[in-house]
Amino acid sequence: MAESRRTFLKQSAASVAVVSLPGCAPMSAESPDALLPATLRAVGETMLPEELGADGRERAVAAFELWSEGLEPVAEMAHPYLVPETVYTGPDPRPGWAAQLRGLDIESRKRFGASFGEIGVPERRSVLEPHVRRAGPDLGRPGNAAHVALALAAHFFASPIATDICYGRAIAKQQCRGLAAAGDEPAPLPGVAS
Amino acid sequence: MSQVIESDVCIIGGGISAAMVAERLAETTEASITVVEAGGRTASLEERTATRARMLAYGENPYPNDHIPGQTGTGEMYQSMVLGGAAMHWGGAVPRYSPEDFRVRSLYGVGYDWPISFDDLEPFYQEAEERMGVAGEQGPPEYDPRSQPYPMPPLPLSWNLLRMREWTDAAGIPFWTQPWARNTEPWQGRNVCQRCDTCAVCPTGAKYTPDFAFDRLLAAGRIRLNERTLIRSLGLESGSDRIASATGFHQDAPDEPVQFRARTFVLAAGHAWSSHLLLMSANSRFPNGLANRTDNVGRYMTGHWFASGFIELPMRLYPGIFPNNSLLSHRFASPGPLDRYLRHDIRLWESTVGREARLAADDGRVLWGDEVMADWRARTRSTATARIRSYYDVIPTPESRLTLHSGMRNSHGDPMPRIDYAAGQATLDLEPHTHETLLGRFDELARAAGGRMMSTRASRLFEHPGGGCRMGDDPATSVVDARGRAHDHENLFVVGAPTIVSSGCANGTLTFCALSLMAAEEIARG
Repeated sequence: MAESRRTFLKQSAASVAVVSLPGCAPMSAESPDALLPATLRAVGETMLPEELGADGRERAVAAFELWSEGLEPVAEMAHPYLVPETVYTGPDPRPGWAAQLRGLDIESRKRFGASFGEIGVPERRSVLEPHVRRAGPDLGRPGNAAHVALALAAHFFASPIATDICYGRAIAKQQCRGLAAAGDEPAPLPGVAS
Repeated sequence: MSQVIESDVCIIGGGISAAMVAERLAETTEASITVVEAGGRTASLEERTATRARMLAYGENPYPNDHIPGQTGTGEMYQSMVLGGAAMHWGGAVPRYSPEDFRVRSLYGVGYDWPISFDDLEPFYQEAEERMGVAGEQGPPEYDPRSQPYPMPPLPLSWNLLRMREWTDAAGIPFWTQPWARNTEPWQGRNVCQRCDTCAVCPTGAKYTPDFAFDRLLAAGRIRLNERTLIRSLGLESGSDRIASATGFHQDAPDEPVQFRARTFVLAAGHAWSSHLLLMSANSRFPNGLANRTDNVGRYMTGHWFASGFIELPMRLYPGIFPNNSLLSHRFASPGPLDRYLRHDIRLWESTVGREARLAADDGRVLWGDEVMADWRARTRSTATARIRSYYDVIPTPESRLTLHSGMRNSHGDPMPRIDYAAGQATLDLEPHTHETLLGRFDELARAAGGRMMSTRASRLFEHPGGGCRMGDDPATSVVDARGRAHDHENLFVVGAPTIVSSGCANGTLTFCALSLMAAEEIARG
């Protein structure tokens, strides 16, 4: 059972990562707006469920990186109903997120004498907690997140996989599934509490 | 004049009403048909998988280039100006109005009777359902009257909706499946619904959008389509009240006028732009605008208001199985005798409200990783959320009005539409009773499941708007007759949303389509 649970979670998190988004253009790692990979992964270890396992969290972080690379600033949004004005997404959040990741490292060094990735999870939480608390309980859309840690959490918890893991069922929201099984209770996921 | 294009019938507008008229005329007449659409084309079916992915990931508009910058007004109206119109974005909900909608003055002493009855319109409802492909479940005949079966079997109820229907059955209120313009069987070469959860942009083609109809007609050589051509005015024949021409320009050549000449003109430009064009076409004989001898153009703009809420249910549901299907009841749209007027529908959906992952517990403690998941599981293990909403009738008033905006012009200097929706005193007087009754019904439903209301909301947004060229037998109080023919111009028809007398308490698109088909039958008679 434990093996099948691990297998499922590994596969699940993998499927978060394989979403291909039209319009994505990878950002150079040298760009000042690039998200520091090591620090971002440390944020993932702090914000994402441990039950995903290291592989699962890695894939969730990689999926977030892919998503953020495809983000188009000030894109025209889907029209709100009966609003005769064009509504746009916000400016590019990535420079701010990149600066926040650098800031996490600086703060960690000042407070704990080591980078964010090198300190323990309790210390990381103490660094992130003010940002999380300031944002309030709701996750919202990742592109609107005021902090990169919130964006990463919002991206993962809004994913179809996160919903399936929560419910322990193969709901597969937003995936074209055909009509035949609509009336059935979603099948349990092996090894995941339902 | 740079270019003159002649045809038997000129349809102005390229949305769903235009598609209905063009299709019917193409099939039942030999007439040459020109369709003039101000906008261009947006994402093709083949492109919608990609635009859907970006909508899901980033919230982006899945229909690029679906409007014209600067060509917009104020008040509730659609941004879309594109081949297919607002029915590119729609979800495909296609309930019929109820028989009572057409006789509210006679039955309840409020509002206005229509010049047609439900029975007059019923065959055209059926025809519209067949043209777009509607999947539906026959409700109780007294609340869901129809002479023939739905074209297709209903979308299946999800596991969630099946549980919810057990609950509503126990509450004693009949609910059935919302009818949808989405295929449950292959229809006109289009795919079957694949339950993708993004009906605003359907990647499979199962949802009807008018571009499919236009493409069929183009392939058959039955219409001439002039895209990206904005009509600015209609002109009269010399010495006559007949319409002789529609003049505009192509977006790529704004300084080169294009004139369309036809025996019959069909104004199918939706609830805002139809009245707008008539007002823009004022001349010395019609100084207040065409079809406006009695000052009714732009008046009686209408829509329905709603009350809504979220109900906590003591049951486990799995949000995401099929969020774009819902339960519907028209029980209270046909309420029988009433002491005080209130007619409304009820819709129920699965919902994630209050059941989403969060980063803080109720006591404010920050949650991390596994704690977030544990908290999420605890809030979804044995409770769920249903969304409930009721549209209710707003009684139209002549003061609810579209006019030409004095301070907002497009790049050609044309004034844009300004819609000042208003509810008459009758609606405002009834509002406290309406809300008290609706929230009481919501609460009653919640308690029938052992649940509770989590929140409620009342909205004054005029949903599914129409009016501005309302139909009627009396030219003193209407713009067009029962078949959409302008009282003032024998060869001008207005079709669809602008012609409605009232907007009832159900989504309007199917009724707009049925009215358009009824007009098309008259147009075909010549």
